[in-house]
Amino acid sequence: MKIIELKTTLFEFELDRVMGDANSPRGRTKSASCLVELITDEGLIGLSIGGGNSIPQIQSLFEGIIKGNDPKSVYSLWKKMVEKFFKGGHDGIANDAISVLDVALWDLKSKINNEPLWKTLGASKKDVNVYASDIALPMGDKEIGDWYKKMAKNYGFKAAKLKVGLDQDADLKRLEIMNEAISQNTNNPILYVDSNEYWSPKQTIRKVSEMEERFSLGWIEEPARRWDFLGLKKISEALKTPVCAGENLDTLGDFLPYFHHRAADVIQVSQGMTGITGALQIADAAYGLELPVTLGGSTGIIHAHLANAIPNCITVEVPHPEPETKVYEWDVKIENGYAKLGDKPGLGITINYEELSKAKVKQISSRSGPSPYGRRQGAGLYEVPASEDEIKEASSK
Amino acid sequence: MKIIDYRLETYLEEMDRPLGDSNGPEGDDLISSSILFIDTDEGISGVAPLGNNKVENLFKVIENKDPRETFSHWQNMIRYTFKAGDEGEVHNALSAIDIALWDIKAKINDEPLWKTLGSDDPKCKIYASDIGYCLSDEELFKFFEKMSDNGVDSGKVKIGLSFEDDMRRIGIVYEALAKNFKRPRIMIDSNEYWSVKKAIQTINKIEEKYDIFWAEEPARRWDYRGLKLVSQNIKAAVATGENLNNVGDFYPLIDNQSVDILNVSSYQSGITGLRQIGNFAYAYELPVTTMNCIGNYNAQIATSIPNHLMMEVVDPGREKAYSKWNNNIDDGFVHLDNTPGIGLVVDENKLKEMQNTDYGREPKMPWFRREGAGLYIKDLENKEVKWK
Repeated sequence: MKIIELKTTLFEFELDRVMGDANSPRGRTKSASCLVELITDEGLIGLSIGGGNSIPQIQSLFEGIIKGNDPKSVYSLWKKMVEKFFKGGHDGIANDAISVLDVALWDLKSKINNEPLWKTLGASKKDVNVYASDIALPMGDKEIGDWYKKMAKNYGFKAAKLKVGLDQDADLKRLEIMNEAISQNTNNPILYVDSNEYWSPKQTIRKVSEMEERFSLGWIEEPARRWDFLGLKKISEALKTPVCAGENLDTLGDFLPYFHHRAADVIQVSQGMTGITGALQIADAAYGLELPVTLGGSTGIIHAHLANAIPNCITVEVPHPEPETKVYEWDVKIENGYAKLGDKPGLGITINYEELSKAKVKQISSRSGPSPYGRRQGAGLYEVPASEDEIKEASSK
Repeated sequence: MKIIDYRLETYLEEMDRPLGDSNGPEGDDLISSSILFIDTDEGISGVAPLGNNKVENLFKVIENKDPRETFSHWQNMIRYTFKAGDEGEVHNALSAIDIALWDIKAKINDEPLWKTLGSDDPKCKIYASDIGYCLSDEELFKFFEKMSDNGVDSGKVKIGLSFEDDMRRIGIVYEALAKNFKRPRIMIDSNEYWSVKKAIQTINKIEEKYDIFWAEEPARRWDYRGLKLVSQNIKAAVATGENLNNVGDFYPLIDNQSVDILNVSSYQSGITGLRQIGNFAYAYELPVTTMNCIGNYNAQIATSIPNHLMMEVVDPGREKAYSKWNNNIDDGFVHLDNTPGIGLVVDENKLKEMQNTDYGREPKMPWFRREGAGLYIKDLENKEVKWK
């Protein structure tokens, strides 16, 4: 079997809530993505969702490396893609392109075997620990409470993560709200907080220490810059709460300082780190050092497939327990606080092409990316709470 | 598809030549081997060229399960052996089961394991390894000369008990490989016989004359400080790890930057464990080298390990129980074909024949640790080896 064609389709859709983090209190209500399809000479389609900003790189990797090859050779194709970017490095946009193509290749490999990805990866069908994640700092307190109540009631979540960073009093209040909402299912809710690199190490230590007086936290996520292994280590040594980091790193090599200096207590692993191939490598390396990993949010909750195939995964982030758009459906159900894996071949994502053609765009609009406003003023220095304008804008969305 | 049964066959085999090292310099050509078969309800059977009676306990963990779920079975076996640990005798059985399950997984897809693991390049660079401290100088030369003629540009020689003789034998290996290569790579292996300081003294003296690619097991397998000290005091890379059992055992070596190259194999909690160790080492920019094994099936796995250096090939003739194995060596590589699974096909008649053979003796391997190890050199006795 040979891969003969590549298709990329950009699309946009409306979100069910106003999303954003410490860097974007204005929030956004649109999301955009790209459907990447690898088509074989036998008509089988391997797909992956992402890489909207790296289409030229995806096309060039396809023409130079993927086209004409057997999709079963995922590892060799991964290696060729990584090595092609040797001089400039395979991070940034290059990593985006490698990642989506690697995921589409794994989808094909599983589909050829007529089995779900979790089985190709050698996992068994068992429930995967998950947590609810609002990613909605711009949302009002009431809405946050309602959202987590719904998550707890409809899906049984017993763990949740709050976006924090701009206003300590507001964050403490919202932690209480989230705690209460999620407590309807358990006496031991697990609470995570995430400041998205907005704080300096000492800001983190002050703020999280104060949170620790009232809450026992599962982790503090990205409490310093991604590359600041000294700062992360300092935070970990000063707090009772585990430090969780790595989300914005791109490659296995990026993690060496974390590993060598024990900068983080929980390693964030994702398909966006040179694909599923790269994610599994990072998880193994962390396992060798007795470090647990956690997998972030992923379209189709495809990280649930990986979670059961790696030995040291704590939990998987779920920002959307059900598809955010009619463009696709997926084969993972969230019930009783677990992800239940399905049996559809590959990633289990099915595309509704009619809906896709409606959602299709020529270009992604500027406010539909995950961080539309860039890094926020004051980051790493002092907090700049949301202005009245920003609050107004967020609440109008 | 379900796992329904297993069969463990043990046998003795007379190899084409004896094996020996610093702990067993006299050598022996009789080895004890085993083959594990794991059967499914759909007729596909998995094979692994190892296994022992501990399989019986572990089999409960995988019985009636889907063989394709290799990772989960591996993890359940590791969990099952939690309290006593998965090292020692258990790790042989655990590794055998994991390998046989991967064999089944590839066979279900009707593809060779290298393809299941995602490779499109079915070949593996190799180095020649005598494991033949017992061989005469002529035999040693002939072994490496033949390998050199097959395109092998790297060779590892067993040393440790006699400096002058060891120097002469390193020279023989160099000369044999140099027949076809301007600067063949030479590796030396003392099998944990030396103390740390003895290793540093000896390797330094060797390095005055020879450029050594790596020195293998120059200290005890767990002595991460000693290994590090050796590495800091010699020019050659320090390689070790073959006697470790699982990824956890590698933690001190990697974390303390004790070694430069890791010896890995599917004997380290199976193919699943080998791949974990490979990735762990990869994160630390450490190359790995796979060990010799019956049927060269480690080459299948090496094709998808990004930091793989080369695989050890001893080729003593210990595959009589197989009608097919990964034996196509050319241009310095093992070339793998499309045989489904790990590339081994058992010859049941041959196997039975060997099981029914009375050799009139017991194998001497595995060797006791030789007297003096780590303390002093116990000199070779007269006629202990052919060349002395």
